[in-house]
Amino acid sequence: MKEVEGALAGLHILDLTDERGIYGAKLLADLGADMVRPEPPGGDPLRNRGPHLDGVDEGVSSLWHAFFASNRRFFSVDPATQPGVLQIAKLVDRADIVLSCDGTFAIEAANLEEAKKRRPELVVIDVTSFGPEGPWSDFLAPDLIAGALGGFCATTGDVDTPPLKGFGELNFMVSGAYTAIAALTALYHVRQEGHGQQVDVSVHECIASCLEHVFMCYWYDELMPTTTPVLSRRGSVHWSGAYVVMAAADGSIMVTPAPDFDAQLSWLIQEDAHEDLLDEKYTDPENYPATVKRFMEVLHKWVATQNVEQFFFEAQSRHSPYGWVLPIEKVAENPQLQARDWWVPYKAGARETLGPGAPYRFSETPWSMGSYGTPGADSESVLADIGWQDTP
Amino acid sequence: MTRPLEGIRILDFTHVLAGPFATRILGDMGADVVKINSADRALGVQDPAHPYYLMWNRNKRALALDMSKEESRRICRELCEKADIVIDNFSVGVLDRWGVGYDSTSKVNSNVIYVQMSGMGDDGPWSDFVTYAPTIHALSGLTHLTGVSGREDIGIGFSYNDHQAGLHGAVSILAALEARRRTGRGQRIDMSQFEVGVNFAGPTLLDYFASGNAARPTGNQLPYDEVAPHACYPCAGASSDAVEDERWVAIVCMTDEHWHALKAVMGNPQWASESIYNSAAGRVANIKDLDLNIAKWTGKLEAEQVMVDCQRAGVPAGIVQNAIDLVENDPQLRHSGFLHTIETSNAGETVTYADRLPLHFHGTPCDVYEKVRGVGADNFAILQDWLDMPEEEIKNAHDAGLLT
Repeated sequence: MKEVEGALAGLHILDLTDERGIYGAKLLADLGADMVRPEPPGGDPLRNRGPHLDGVDEGVSSLWHAFFASNRRFFSVDPATQPGVLQIAKLVDRADIVLSCDGTFAIEAANLEEAKKRRPELVVIDVTSFGPEGPWSDFLAPDLIAGALGGFCATTGDVDTPPLKGFGELNFMVSGAYTAIAALTALYHVRQEGHGQQVDVSVHECIASCLEHVFMCYWYDELMPTTTPVLSRRGSVHWSGAYVVMAAADGSIMVTPAPDFDAQLSWLIQEDAHEDLLDEKYTDPENYPATVKRFMEVLHKWVATQNVEQFFFEAQSRHSPYGWVLPIEKVAENPQLQARDWWVPYKAGARETLGPGAPYRFSETPWSMGSYGTPGADSESVLADIGWQDTP
Repeated sequence: MTRPLEGIRILDFTHVLAGPFATRILGDMGADVVKINSADRALGVQDPAHPYYLMWNRNKRALALDMSKEESRRICRELCEKADIVIDNFSVGVLDRWGVGYDSTSKVNSNVIYVQMSGMGDDGPWSDFVTYAPTIHALSGLTHLTGVSGREDIGIGFSYNDHQAGLHGAVSILAALEARRRTGRGQRIDMSQFEVGVNFAGPTLLDYFASGNAARPTGNQLPYDEVAPHACYPCAGASSDAVEDERWVAIVCMTDEHWHALKAVMGNPQWASESIYNSAAGRVANIKDLDLNIAKWTGKLEAEQVMVDCQRAGVPAGIVQNAIDLVENDPQLRHSGFLHTIETSNAGETVTYADRLPLHFHGTPCDVYEKVRGVGADNFAILQDWLDMPEEEIKNAHDAGLLT
């Protein structure tokens, strides 16, 4: 029986990304594309990123790399040698899409400018920190710098903390997702018209495009209840003021009276915790900011007396979108994820552990997670694919 | 020159941020996105005049349908039969109850791709839970992990997961289009915004399952790798004592070379020459003193000067930019024309703005930005384009209150 294939089965992609684009490559590889990731003979430097598996060597201890470089075929190549240059060129010639970041391994040997002339149907995605031109185009921007300049950090943190980055690589996961969108959109155009093209992805612009209220408050401040063009970092308080993490008796919970303030009020009345919220000044839409403020004051006092777990489930049974603030070990035990059989095995060398499953489920072309290999583990099969013989 | 997704028809039932962001991206790239709204639902952030709606619904056409009426639902069924994509972020089952769910539509339109962007997915004990981005952040561990040691109440300061759910929704649609080309059939995509969010802690969760290590927030430090300095530092130039007027710069030394270059930028101060700072491990072990000393240096300088001096010396550094910085001062965004006003020919109309699609297609540029349309503003054009509906019939439907 034929194995069911992923959505991108049959698609050949060459992965020349670094941290800025590797998440996009992962998304495409996990959807079934045949993706080759060249690495130097000593192994991809990103194999050094933590966390690491204890007691495992052979270059497969990095769980960072196992996650972001999933479903790849690893190809060991030395682009400083003539055979290496030829092998990279043959890989480019075999690819439908090349994902690249400026300055990454083997990018010069790939000679993508020549490849585009040679193969007009080729899609090339070029991820740079700030775009190919402009006053900051040469700036260096690891994730924290990208988040600082892109606007993430200014809105994250509290009045008594510095501006903060997100945990892990949240900025580069945005540019990564855009990288996948760029590749698939350009591919769609190839399928329709036969013409490939290059798509430039600016990490800086990607981050700035995903800031929810930041531009909205600046552009439309006179129409907003916030009435200020810049909202400072203020912990978990949402721009609307109506969502905030509160301390319950034995844990933290994100509480909101939105979107149905009446339902929240009814619940508070049932619990005799509504204080003065029935005052008509809090039912007048003209007083919305004051209403939100008073609701949150009342909720803070009430929530502090609650058992967090029971309270969370009671809120959700009432269709209130509260969120229990869960540490990672509780996320790992989450009954919803278990019921949906979400976790999947990750095989790193001889070790097997569990990890995240699909961010989407396709009814006909399932997402899947394959084994994770040692440096250059697939060199033989890659060389066979490009018809390479020892004496070319 | 055509845009890359021209010819793709998308019926868009989404609301708030995640779904509309997915379809905004596809609309920016040329897809014909028909946004379904109604006079009854056009309240709060669903009101086309609300800034939140203005942000996520450009480049879409607007169709009003009163789905409480059977005749409106019949029109909707016909539209679904013509669609490439049907997308919603209602609770599970709403489209089925209207008779326009995947099972019924795919029988007559085998090409159709349905995307359900629910909070928790189709099934499971939490599938009825109501979620917004702050809910997902809390449940997925993003809130707990994003903060400083001892604090679990900070989290991300904006609806990160809504944007990411939108991006992942777009990825899934585009992948399903490629699968359709190969198989000749559409399919249904069940997207749980919760699962999208949990995915972002991937390496950390692998570490937990493999070794039992339960990660905790690390502020601006990298949680697993020895890198220092790696922080935001206060600068001079605050226009007031208010938090929003503070000036900060982020500085990162990923390598020892970066550190040596930073020392030179700082004027090779005595404290930095101490041997404890010679290695990344030493800098991490002495991070408090390191950060205090760097902060003393940055505190006397403007953030922009620190950034430029560091970058010139090859040290990664960047201003912590707020909205004013991004809109008024960022020379890179200005260079690319990233932020702009959407042109209108109607005098007296509210001025609206847009951030450009951050993807620059060399062969099929995506530089069309159409204003947000009012409820039902494109009823006639859409029903003619998609259904070849005669003008008289559209007028009758309108008069019968189906298109409101």
